[in-house]
Amino acid sequence: MAAGGGIPGLALANMLAPKQPHFPAKAKSVISIFCYGGVSHMDTFDPKPMLKQRAGETIPGKKVVPSQGNPGGLMPALWEFKKYGQSGMEVSSLFPHVAQKVDEIAFIRSMYCTSNDHGPALFQMNTGFIQAGYPSMGSWLTYGLGSENQNLPGFVVFTDPRGGPIGGAPNWGNGFMPAAYQGTPFRPTGNPIVDLRPPKDMTDARQRRWLDFVAKMNQDHIERNPFDTELSARIESYELAYRMQTSATEAVDVDSETAATKKLYGIDEQRTEYFGRQALMARRLVERGVRFVQLYSGGGNFGDSWDAHWDLKENHDQHCGETDKPIAGLMTDLKSRGLLDSTLIIWHGEFGRLPISQRMSGRDHNPYGFTVWMAGGGIRGGTCVGATDEFGLEAVEDRKSVHDLHATMLHLLGFDHTRLTYPHNGRNMRLTDVEGEVIRKIVA
Amino acid sequence: MLRLFLLAGALAALAPAQGLPERAAQVLAANCTSCHGGSLRVSELDLRTRDAMVKGGTRGAALVVGKAEQSRLYRFAAGLDQPQMPPGKKLSAEDLATLKAWIDSGAELAGAPVASGSLAAAEDRPITENERKYWAFQKPVRPPAPAENAIDHFLALKWKAKGLTPAPRAEKAVLVRRAYLDLLGLPPTPDQVKAFVNDTRPDAWPRLVDSLLASPHYGERWARHWLDVVRYADSGGFEYDRDRNNAYRYRDYVVKALNSDKPFDRFLKEQLAGDELYPGSQEAWIATGFLRLGPENNVKNEQTRLDELDDLVVTTANGLLGMTVGCARCHNHKFDAIAQKDYYRMQAVFFPLKPLERPLVDPAAEAKFKAETKAVEALQQPIKDQLKALEKPFRDKIIARRKASMPDYLRTALATPEAQRTEGQKLNVIQFEKSVENIYEDDLVRELTPAIVAERKQLVAKIADLDKTKPEMPAAMTITEPGREAPPSHFLHRGGAGSKGSVMTPGVLSATVREDWPFPAAPADAKTSHRRAAFAQWIASPDNPLVSRVWVNRMWQFHFGEGIVRTPSNFGKMGERPTHPELLDWLATEFVANNWSVKHMHRLMMNSAAYQMAADDTEANRKLDPDNRWLWRMPRRRLEGEAIRDSILALAGTLDNTIGGPAVLPYIDPALYQASSKRTWNGKAVDDPSTNRRSLYVFSKRSIPLPMLDVFDKPDTITSCARRNRSTIAPQALILMNNEFVHLQAKAFAERLTREAPTVPARVARGYELAFGRPPSAREAARAVEFIQASPAGLNDFCHALFNVNEFVYVP
Repeated sequence: MAAGGGIPGLALANMLAPKQPHFPAKAKSVISIFCYGGVSHMDTFDPKPMLKQRAGETIPGKKVVPSQGNPGGLMPALWEFKKYGQSGMEVSSLFPHVAQKVDEIAFIRSMYCTSNDHGPALFQMNTGFIQAGYPSMGSWLTYGLGSENQNLPGFVVFTDPRGGPIGGAPNWGNGFMPAAYQGTPFRPTGNPIVDLRPPKDMTDARQRRWLDFVAKMNQDHIERNPFDTELSARIESYELAYRMQTSATEAVDVDSETAATKKLYGIDEQRTEYFGRQALMARRLVERGVRFVQLYSGGGNFGDSWDAHWDLKENHDQHCGETDKPIAGLMTDLKSRGLLDSTLIIWHGEFGRLPISQRMSGRDHNPYGFTVWMAGGGIRGGTCVGATDEFGLEAVEDRKSVHDLHATMLHLLGFDHTRLTYPHNGRNMRLTDVEGEVIRKIVA
Repeated sequence: MLRLFLLAGALAALAPAQGLPERAAQVLAANCTSCHGGSLRVSELDLRTRDAMVKGGTRGAALVVGKAEQSRLYRFAAGLDQPQMPPGKKLSAEDLATLKAWIDSGAELAGAPVASGSLAAAEDRPITENERKYWAFQKPVRPPAPAENAIDHFLALKWKAKGLTPAPRAEKAVLVRRAYLDLLGLPPTPDQVKAFVNDTRPDAWPRLVDSLLASPHYGERWARHWLDVVRYADSGGFEYDRDRNNAYRYRDYVVKALNSDKPFDRFLKEQLAGDELYPGSQEAWIATGFLRLGPENNVKNEQTRLDELDDLVVTTANGLLGMTVGCARCHNHKFDAIAQKDYYRMQAVFFPLKPLERPLVDPAAEAKFKAETKAVEALQQPIKDQLKALEKPFRDKIIARRKASMPDYLRTALATPEAQRTEGQKLNVIQFEKSVENIYEDDLVRELTPAIVAERKQLVAKIADLDKTKPEMPAAMTITEPGREAPPSHFLHRGGAGSKGSVMTPGVLSATVREDWPFPAAPADAKTSHRRAAFAQWIASPDNPLVSRVWVNRMWQFHFGEGIVRTPSNFGKMGERPTHPELLDWLATEFVANNWSVKHMHRLMMNSAAYQMAADDTEANRKLDPDNRWLWRMPRRRLEGEAIRDSILALAGTLDNTIGGPAVLPYIDPALYQASSKRTWNGKAVDDPSTNRRSLYVFSKRSIPLPMLDVFDKPDTITSCARRNRSTIAPQALILMNNEFVHLQAKAFAERLTREAPTVPARVARGYELAFGRPPSAREAARAVEFIQASPAGLNDFCHALFNVNEFVYVP
């Protein structure tokens, strides 16, 4: 990778200028829908009739190790499954709207990760490493591809209004890369970026006059140092910041959308409003050339996330209810605007949940097997890869690691994951470390 | 006859394959079974029998009988798939052909399993004479140089050779600003500028350098550089990112060590083995906090422990030795003469470590602290009981409701008599009964009436108030070991806990020593292994070829923008070669010869003519050396976020320049961090003056960085930072344009100017002098006066502009 980000001190314009990937690709941008806390695959996209038959039994010859406390017995799925679409993919009643889209979705039912803890598992899903401090997926993509819109950040993150994911900012951090590749958290209401707007008493006219004054002072300075591109880049960054004040506000102005569009995303209903807004903002950002948008469903602690240790029924009814319609709406909307082909949607958590019960009727974390799905940008819809065992405990067929998922994402964006590298402390680092294989079966 | 003929034919057909099983077994034994078979089975793979090969390991079958091209065993060996096996070695064409023919012809072994390869042989990686000759492994030899300033001499050699003309000496006003920002991280006041500019003595410059080195703020500025290298933070990282409220003592130790010009060899020895080498020194104990600075996983198992040790080995190697020893965790280093064994010998040095919060008071005082804590707890107990009684009816209500809404499988399980429940049902019931009475605070509070909420709040507050009266025992974040005998650590093939090789003894980098460095047994009464003591002696030995070079190179980088080796944590083959090797060696030997005095090196570097060059470009030089590799001018450097924030506070006159102590938590917009039950940021109000301390003292929380610092490329604090990124991005402009803290400081700056200067033109002049260390030109002054007078907020906006312009954020 010949991208210039490895050279410290390189100016903004160069760092985020659009760049060509290794080979032509359909997908130009990514929307990651992160169901933080861990979704139960057996209750959503990976039906296990055996659980019903063997409810209240144990798995013969298997010692299940939960993340906390002692294991319970097998617990059946609490929702019914039905077949959908031409592909006949089975989806539970938790996702009635997404179920209508199965022919456009590729399911990976054999994911696994290597940490049983939210924090490290989140970092792994976002950066490939269980430790904080490595560049996230969005950083790698903006490093590799630059941004199509210089008036907006290339990598935007929306956290759940109830709180962000555990581990915080390193989840969208740039690690050892320059700050230009960092995810910018957007707030769902008000000014999207902190410090985007000046204090109230600073009118636009006053600010413009102020900027012109700063520019003149900088001009005098640069005349004495005419060859210093870093100085001119810094001057330019003020004009960009000024334009961003308007363009970022405009980009998230959901109210300018038609009533029909808002309805499509469920913005007219209380339960789906927040995620619907974020999903619609994601479309508006992708439309404007933002490279990577990450939406978090679930935040803060316990019940506010998908982390259903206590009461799966209440938890998943709530979180699926909040996101099902907006996700389907996003897919419909992207498609009708011709954007689904160039936008890769990745739906995922940091791990799945165990087939045995925990506490009242909850399920504990499951890093051994879970489901992730992708749609849009170069994905072969109506497909399914891999399988967990008959109980949903472990991925057994066609096991796919987080590195494989990342390798596939990079492939769909036009990158050979082994060649997208960034030098750090004597090593050419990769999103996929020293592993990862592209999941060819789901690539169109 | 016919029968005989047939037999002969069969023999003839077999003939070419004769001996193949034996030959294949030899290839496997020589190359594969030391790791895959016998005591070690990396990836759970055993290559000693055909069945075991077919069964394979965690990556699947190694052998498809009759099909070499489909067998992983062959594909990895032939380089058809990654990883290449055996690691770091390619089989000869002949051996490969043997393997292929053997697999294709049925992979039969001649009765006996393949012999297990020798572990020791697999682990050994001798260093050749030629490898020892690599420049960084050679002890630096002092090259001849003239007495005045060797730095200028060595630079001039290159200028001459390359046809470059060095830049002229910078103006005095520029020099004084450069020196202040470089050594203190704060701009000079107008009086300080004047004092230097008007000092006509011939030694005015060295006097200035001396006076700045004597300032207590020098240690604060340069501690920041060291803390980058050792990835210092005030919290533990990972999921909980727990606060480390004693970490600051290590930070203060670094400030003090620099201010007192503690010999650098002693500085390193204290950090690596202060407890063993200087047991009587409280300061040396605090220094061992170095060994605790890395992130700490809240999940404790063998693998996470190995990862923590890796972080320590890597930081020590990159930070002190400039060697990427971490690459040898899983295999011998691919480019440098670093054996995997060296990695595990270094790991063995740190393997016995255990964390210890060491009280900094005597045992009697410690006992008093404990007794006082107990007394407070006794006072809390009745209030806690009262709270429990108050909550009981509401808790009961929730429990009843929970019981009524069980899912079917659970209802069935509970309805089944205990004796008849299946194993799983028993487990389900246990889970339910254990949890049904466990109620989160939020859920409980929702259930309460407003009156009860108020009453409860009072009780909770009382308990919390009493908590605050508990005494805090001063303690340092230090380490210890389980005892005199170190627990055994192992060579780990492929780096994983599941692939243990031989037991390791401690050691150092083989390429730097002729014979094994001695690790004497610990004294009879020792409480630790004294492995670190011996290791520290090697690190800080005058014979160590790396440590002195690496540190003087870092100092050079902080003074001159780039190192003589531009990859300051990688002096290996994949790093850059020194631009001025003789200069590097001269500096390294000078450093050691002068008792490892850091301040001596500052003086040498800053008193050179090179340091005093102007930063201006010249067209002719630019054509020959656009990157300024041969240092024909001073590079202009953007200040770090810390220095920008500190300079803003200094201009505004709001800087609280107290030195040392616990970290402060300035305001962070709650939208920018995600609190959790275990992780939050108790920031003060944005205008709280107690947070106007130097940025060194801002609490460095790994998961919640201060945006003002973060946006200006603050290091990640997870790995050692050799050189900060210097990016220029719009969010930096947004923060300096719009952030409330910046606006408050601009206002304070305007008030200061109003106080200190009577008229608008005088305020403009003072503003320029404070911000840039120079008066405005006539044109600048006229423009600023006009700008200020055109609006009621003019002076504010002028001050705000000074924080934002390039001249303010660059070292001239």
